[in-house]
Amino acid sequence: MAHISPTSNCSLPDQGNPGNCLLEVRGLSKSFPGVKALDDVSLHLRAGEVLAVIGENGAGKSSLMKILAGVQTADTGQILLHGAEVRFESTRAALDAGVVLIHQELNLCENLNVGQNIFLGREPRIGPFILSREIEQRSTQFLNAVGLQTSPRTLVSKLSVGQQQMVEIAKALSVQAKVIIFDEPTSSLSAKETESLFAMIRSLQEQGVGIIYISHRLEEVKHLASRVTVLRDGQNAGELSGDAITHDNMVSRMIGRDVTRVYSRTRHQLGPVVLEVRDAVTTAYPEQAVSFSVRAGEIVGIAGLVGAGRSELLRGIFGVDQLVRGTIEINGQPQSIHSARAAQAAGLALVPEDRKQQGLIVEFNIRKNVGLAKLRDAAGPGGWINFGGEKTAASEAIQRLNIKTSSDLKLAKFLSGGNQQKVVIGKWLAVGPRVLLLDEPTRGIDVGAKQEIYRLIESLAAKSLAILFVSSEMEEVLGLSDRVLVMHEGRLAGELAQNQISEANIMRLATGQGLPPNPSAN
Amino acid sequence: MNENLTGLIKIVGISILLVTLWIILSVYVPEKFLSPNNIENLLRRTALYGILGVGVAFVIMTSGIDLSLGSLVCLCGCLLAIFLRVEYQPINQADVWAISAENRTLLVPSETSLESGQSLRLFNARKARNLLARIESVRTTEFNGRPAKELTLDQKPSRDDALDGSLTAIGKVVPVYPLESIRTPASDDSGNARPSELTIAAGALGLQPRDRLVLVSSKGGIQEKTIATVSSSGQQTKIQLKDAASEVDNQWQAIPVKRVQRMSVPSAVGLVLLIAAGLGLLHGLLITRLGQQPFVVTLCGLLIYRGLSRRLSNDQVLGFGDEYADSLNALATGRWVLWEAADGSGSFGIPYVFFILLGVALLAAIFLNLTIWGRYILALGKNQEAARYSGINTGRMICLTYLLCGLITGLGGILHAIDANSISPSSFGNWFELWAIAAAVLGGCSLRGGEGGIIGVIVGTALMQTLYNMIVLLKIPSELEYVIIGAVILIGVVSDELIRRAATAVRTR
Repeated sequence: MAHISPTSNCSLPDQGNPGNCLLEVRGLSKSFPGVKALDDVSLHLRAGEVLAVIGENGAGKSSLMKILAGVQTADTGQILLHGAEVRFESTRAALDAGVVLIHQELNLCENLNVGQNIFLGREPRIGPFILSREIEQRSTQFLNAVGLQTSPRTLVSKLSVGQQQMVEIAKALSVQAKVIIFDEPTSSLSAKETESLFAMIRSLQEQGVGIIYISHRLEEVKHLASRVTVLRDGQNAGELSGDAITHDNMVSRMIGRDVTRVYSRTRHQLGPVVLEVRDAVTTAYPEQAVSFSVRAGEIVGIAGLVGAGRSELLRGIFGVDQLVRGTIEINGQPQSIHSARAAQAAGLALVPEDRKQQGLIVEFNIRKNVGLAKLRDAAGPGGWINFGGEKTAASEAIQRLNIKTSSDLKLAKFLSGGNQQKVVIGKWLAVGPRVLLLDEPTRGIDVGAKQEIYRLIESLAAKSLAILFVSSEMEEVLGLSDRVLVMHEGRLAGELAQNQISEANIMRLATGQGLPPNPSAN
Repeated sequence: MNENLTGLIKIVGISILLVTLWIILSVYVPEKFLSPNNIENLLRRTALYGILGVGVAFVIMTSGIDLSLGSLVCLCGCLLAIFLRVEYQPINQADVWAISAENRTLLVPSETSLESGQSLRLFNARKARNLLARIESVRTTEFNGRPAKELTLDQKPSRDDALDGSLTAIGKVVPVYPLESIRTPASDDSGNARPSELTIAAGALGLQPRDRLVLVSSKGGIQEKTIATVSSSGQQTKIQLKDAASEVDNQWQAIPVKRVQRMSVPSAVGLVLLIAAGLGLLHGLLITRLGQQPFVVTLCGLLIYRGLSRRLSNDQVLGFGDEYADSLNALATGRWVLWEAADGSGSFGIPYVFFILLGVALLAAIFLNLTIWGRYILALGKNQEAARYSGINTGRMICLTYLLCGLITGLGGILHAIDANSISPSSFGNWFELWAIAAAVLGGCSLRGGEGGIIGVIVGTALMQTLYNMIVLLKIPSELEYVIIGAVILIGVVSDELIRRAATAVRTR
């Protein structure tokens, strides 16, 4: 698999950090039909170092990582491990060489137990018989190393996402990984789980493991990384280390221009209360009742840690999940909402969390997707599709939301994440809702498109739409909200008015602490 | 690439395959393949199976399946035959309770409308021979405590007998009417017999065309004839038969027989369709309300409907005889004649059933492509969750597809039953579900749902029927029939995937 080539000793300009060069990538290129995913990308990683790789969606991060982990092979370029050139034809080859990729979506078999997952494909055995006892003993050792207090016989499906991630790390330890690549590891972790992941990463670092850390969350990158490699359009777009790792530096290299802050919005006059939710109880937290209201033209953010019951609340209000109890009033009228259809009739719209599964029919074209919610109302009594109306609605959405596409007949799956999200929003704007619910509206969307979504949300509020959004991105909640509701374990932990909105206040409420006596902390 | 193009590629691909087969057959066996009979037969079979394919395509589009289709075809056929069963009952037939040879008497229930002077026929007796006799006198009496009539005849029955045990009758009697006249015109020029005309000495029997007359003679002769026209006046009924009653003279007598049809054709057809749609709806409800898997629900249907058919028919072969030759049969076996050889040696027509297929296909295509419900079905077939989040009542729409599938299967079952006119409940419709599914898949439906069109299903059916035709015409050993059909389906779907990959590669380049 590995054959020796003239050695390299990390002779790159940046020599600030001591340590051996563990992994080096030289001039890697990879093309797919129609796209050049990687174009002459180079990077290096020393033992005991955390190298963050950042970039907008489509910048080439995923392709690079897939090549490093043996999922794909490069067209040209070299990978050197300990100075020897390697070429991974399979993930197994990468694994054997000690390079492990921990995916954004965890790759564990939920129906197997922890031990079985750690040794999956490498089971200690005699002939065809698996030595379960040995799996358990050896797993326990690795579980202790990652600080996971669970039996190797626990089913993976019984573990939280954070715990599952620890199992992945234990798995990496079990192959004596030299390089561990984390792909968006914190996207579904709670703050506490994130903290323990970071502690784990630091301890791996001390053991001399090289870490490649991919994340959209620049705060985390700032916190963890010794060095940052920025990719843009499949090319190296700069490297930052030490004090140069700042939010603004990273963003400006990612998008190639200067961005002052996430979003700054203008305020405007609020109208009367449109959405009134009283004692809403979701099945996720049957003990907790939530009450709040949203006014016309108001943008209300719901902050909280993952698992606080925010999405469940939105889905319950929208009727796609059933609320245990609770009343919902629109413009003072009580509504009975047990389906999305009823919610739509009441003037509600939901841009759901999972764009491809819940928001869009990716195999439908833009026109059909935009028309889907409006179809019935536009049809009249005969049930005939109003094709003209559908076409008009689609072109209006494309124009109004600035959806970048060659035609409204393009399939939604061929659009970028940001444009897909605009199609989902367009579908609901077509029915003229009074309340727009958005669940993680910019998840997985690149920085430029995020800005557009923010502007769009603001302009909708300016037209008196009541807007309620759930977001796990702190900057988004801070920048966009008129008011913030913070949830903690299913209950409304607190409400922050305009002048109270701060990261500290939100985090205090989200972690279950009260506000300090003087609420206007900033 | 937009979605319409993807669908188009599929249809074009399979159409090319179909046309290629046609060309091959036209070149190798032109006389056989291009004969009017063969083409007509191909159209008929394509229509009969294509209708079923359209039905199952609806559920396949929702990523469902219907395995019960073949059994449901059988059940519908059996039900139709049972609903339309025709019986012939002699007018004023009565039970016989006792026979006395010595006294020349018969005992019948007192409500029997036989009068002195009338003639009767004794038949189906347990012991006595059939007898044609005249009633000399009638006396009211009693038999085992029930009021009875004692008929004294002018002839002796052959044996004594009397009711015992739990029997309700030991024989039957029916009034017979003497023929006042009978005339059978001479044969026409080409030697074909002409229908007989006759008059019987009875009025107001309520006879209708298609009822029958049983003509009997005292010497034991018996003929059953169908009535063409009938007119009554006073004590006379003039009847024209459908064909000649040869060697019958006015010494013979007539027994009028009523044709009893259980149900009118429209109500029978309507009821079968209603039952089929109801069973489809039941499938849909089990799947959407109780969360059962389509495969399992319809697999159970496959077993249940087959068993029900066998029970309802007592496992006997059912059919319609020629009772509906002028009405219902036309649906499946009739044709619109386009060309006829001058010497009458051959003709070509388009089977009516092919027009039915076109009608069903047109309605289905309109429903799928032009109405919101069709759009909803395609949407939920591709992504049920997103459809639900878009305000679509996905459960109701899935139920609707199973209902439509049941309804169309019911129609297909009716047509298949009429076409076969011989429904063997244990085998009729076997494998039909798989042919229908195969045609739909070949025509571009994906079992993952959300894909496919009606045109594709019909082209797919035509392809399978052409293959079948090819096997017959090219004298390929029939053992290989399934091998060939299976292989072609496989080639069809694999090449479809290859074309799709190539197209995606072109798009992304």
